[in-house]
Amino acid sequence: MFSEQAAPTAQGLLAPPSAEPPTFPRVSVSGYSDCSQPFQLGERSFSRQYAHIYAVRLAGMRPGLERRARSRWGNDIVLRKLSELQAGEKCCVVGTLFKAMQLQPSILQEISEEHNLVPQPPLPKYIQPSDELILEDELQRIKLEGAIDVQRLVTGTILAVYGSEQDDGRFLVEDHCFADLPPPLPWKGPCSDRFVLLTSGLGLGSVSGEALLSTQLLVDVVTGQLGAEGEQSCAAHIARVILAGNLLSQNTQSRDTINKAKYLTKKTQAASVEAVKMLDEILLQLCTSVPVDVMPGEFDPTNYTLPQQPLHRCMLPLASAYTTLHLVTNPYQADLDGVRFLGTSGQNVSDIFKYSSMDNYLEILEWTLLAGHISPTAPDTLGCYPFYKSDPFILTECPHVYFCGNAPRFQSKLLQGEEGQRVLLLTVPDFSTTQTACLVNLRDLTCQPITFSGFGAEDED
Amino acid sequence: VTYKWLSYTLGVHVNQAKQMLYDYVERKRKENSGAQLHVTYLVAGNLLQNGHVCHKVAVVREDKLEAMKSKLSTIASVHVYSIQKALLKDSSPLYNTDYDIVKTNLHHCSKFSAIRCAAAVPRTPPDVPRAQTSTQSSQPQRDPDAAGVVNGHGPPAAKPPPQQHKGIMGMFAAKAASKPQDTNKEAKAEAKEAPGVSAASSKPPTKNNIMNNFFGKAAMNKLKVNSVPEQQKEEKEVAKPSVAVAEPESSPNTVVEKPGKKTESTRIQQKDKKSKMKRVDRSDDEEERDPENVKKKRKRIKQLQSDSSDEEDVPPSPTPEEERAPSPPPVPALKTELEPASTEVSAGGRKRKRKRVLKSKMFIDEEEGCM
Repeated sequence: MFSEQAAPTAQGLLAPPSAEPPTFPRVSVSGYSDCSQPFQLGERSFSRQYAHIYAVRLAGMRPGLERRARSRWGNDIVLRKLSELQAGEKCCVVGTLFKAMQLQPSILQEISEEHNLVPQPPLPKYIQPSDELILEDELQRIKLEGAIDVQRLVTGTILAVYGSEQDDGRFLVEDHCFADLPPPLPWKGPCSDRFVLLTSGLGLGSVSGEALLSTQLLVDVVTGQLGAEGEQSCAAHIARVILAGNLLSQNTQSRDTINKAKYLTKKTQAASVEAVKMLDEILLQLCTSVPVDVMPGEFDPTNYTLPQQPLHRCMLPLASAYTTLHLVTNPYQADLDGVRFLGTSGQNVSDIFKYSSMDNYLEILEWTLLAGHISPTAPDTLGCYPFYKSDPFILTECPHVYFCGNAPRFQSKLLQGEEGQRVLLLTVPDFSTTQTACLVNLRDLTCQPITFSGFGAEDED
Repeated sequence: VTYKWLSYTLGVHVNQAKQMLYDYVERKRKENSGAQLHVTYLVAGNLLQNGHVCHKVAVVREDKLEAMKSKLSTIASVHVYSIQKALLKDSSPLYNTDYDIVKTNLHHCSKFSAIRCAAAVPRTPPDVPRAQTSTQSSQPQRDPDAAGVVNGHGPPAAKPPPQQHKGIMGMFAAKAASKPQDTNKEAKAEAKEAPGVSAASSKPPTKNNIMNNFFGKAAMNKLKVNSVPEQQKEEKEVAKPSVAVAEPESSPNTVVEKPGKKTESTRIQQKDKKSKMKRVDRSDDEEERDPENVKKKRKRIKQLQSDSSDEEDVPPSPTPEEERAPSPPPVPALKTELEPASTEVSAGGRKRKRKRVLKSKMFIDEEEGCM
């Protein structure tokens, strides 16, 4: 993208100083609106049980699923609740999935004294062949077996199964379906090239500093200091930068204050303080030149439960003086120039990765879109706020760009839906390990990774 | 020496800095002076990687330049990144140089960049507390915020005091109100020298809100921290009393005198000015409540001044009056509003009086710090 436009003047700066060099005005995003109100929590009360979320989720997704089931298996199929099932009758049931996993870390097992167990160390995947699927609706539950992939599915998904009840009380599944892609949003994208830069996992505050030069190069490219004139004019088309989480690195999480004695840790500062200062400086450089949206991630100083609330602006005193800095929630939804963006910092995808046999982050991302829910594992294995009125993670409209941050590598795919939906699925790689960011072109929903590198003593290729 | 360091140190556009570096390298090489120069380049272009076309931006040593260029299918840009005398083992010194120079110039880091963003305007302080006026607790938050920024701006703060002075002078110059707005904004916006963007449009609403906040509790705290709002308030009195801030309207004479005093103050040294601010401020309060004490105040201040107070007093006074004449017509209307507002005003004044000592002390500290 950049390269084709920039190529002609590539060598332009290998010359003696010329007359006043041009400055390019940044293209402005005229139509920006933040649509992430459902993810912003006002008054929070944790005195509720989590069962309400499931009830609300099922109630919210049931109509859509029933419609989908009818269109798939015929208009005359029988839709039953679990309490109305009759043995041997072919029918369709809509309910919440629960996967009973042996290896799933359970707090009850941990504190159970008769077992005398050491807490289970975190495993990359918790699936086992002996896992079972159980379908629950409002009143009852039933075991599922048959043509359904137990390993692939995760707890909390709402789906419709078609089959019949066996004599032994299990449900034999012949077919199942998800909510599929939500209805499409009209496309009002821009006609000229506009780019949005997505990056995640800056990992500031880590002990190693290799990524720092790359981060600086990234900032320089975006603010237009790097590159020849052609590249700078292309960079002026970057309308927005979205930082999708994990701005601080995992190293800042360790809290010696818990383990060490108080007199040893009295004068020490939390590692995240320095990291946040560094972040503030980087954001200041970016904000003077481009609007920035900052999403919190797993290791960032905000609440742990989803939806994560925006970072507080007093942590970023220098940068928050600029109106171009937007501190937003995780998950984040916004309309940029008519293009709807929806994305998370990756906690939902990595959680599904742990509890499902799906290995590819892009595949998981696509699956969540098809299942109609951003994070089905939310209250079960991923922290979540106890919603009771409505579940904001249900996908009601199909976004144009659906991304997740902190993926191991860059992947992208353009998905076409039956009702004319066009979604760009994007896994944004972790910058601190891959030094790669993504550039999305709003005009035609194409995407390109950008890699930055310095040189070290070891690369001799 | 990196191109960024050069651009900040010499104050030139980044592209020019890059060209300068290249030029220097060429010339030195031609002269063959024997001093070995090691150059690093920045190369950017398209690269086929993992099946998709990826845009790569890399800093490479000179010897690897050709190798990298051949790896890229299309080259987007090549330019000199830095020059050193010694061969660099890795790129961390480059990063450190850039980091240091950017840190010392944090607030105008986009000045020499090739891209200007019109939207990147620093938020003016009243916008910030306005968002938080609902809760008093957020005020202390903002105070360290503002204080931090002010302190952080210590080094380049040589500019703010002269700007403040200019602001005061400009305020009462016989020009349109927009001029003092500009200078005042620069002094006010926590001296963020954002690249030449002055959102003049945000000025009137900002001022109105300052007026609104003026008698709010929030404004009390704000006044404590920042001496600048003090000037704003005074400017407001002169320029645009659209809200029921009745003090300018209480008696046109008194207000006219105040600007007169102020113009005098700016011509005298800072110390006097400081004390003047204190006086003027006190006189503010009292003017609202007792217009008849004004004469006394004026005399006191005149004693303080070294010279020519009378003449200076008279010429500037008609001009601010003119200035205020074109200001919105509701001047007579506001006079009627004086009565209901005066109680409010006096309450505000009393509050301000209590905080006055602290505020002026802070003013001195800031002044001295900046000096």
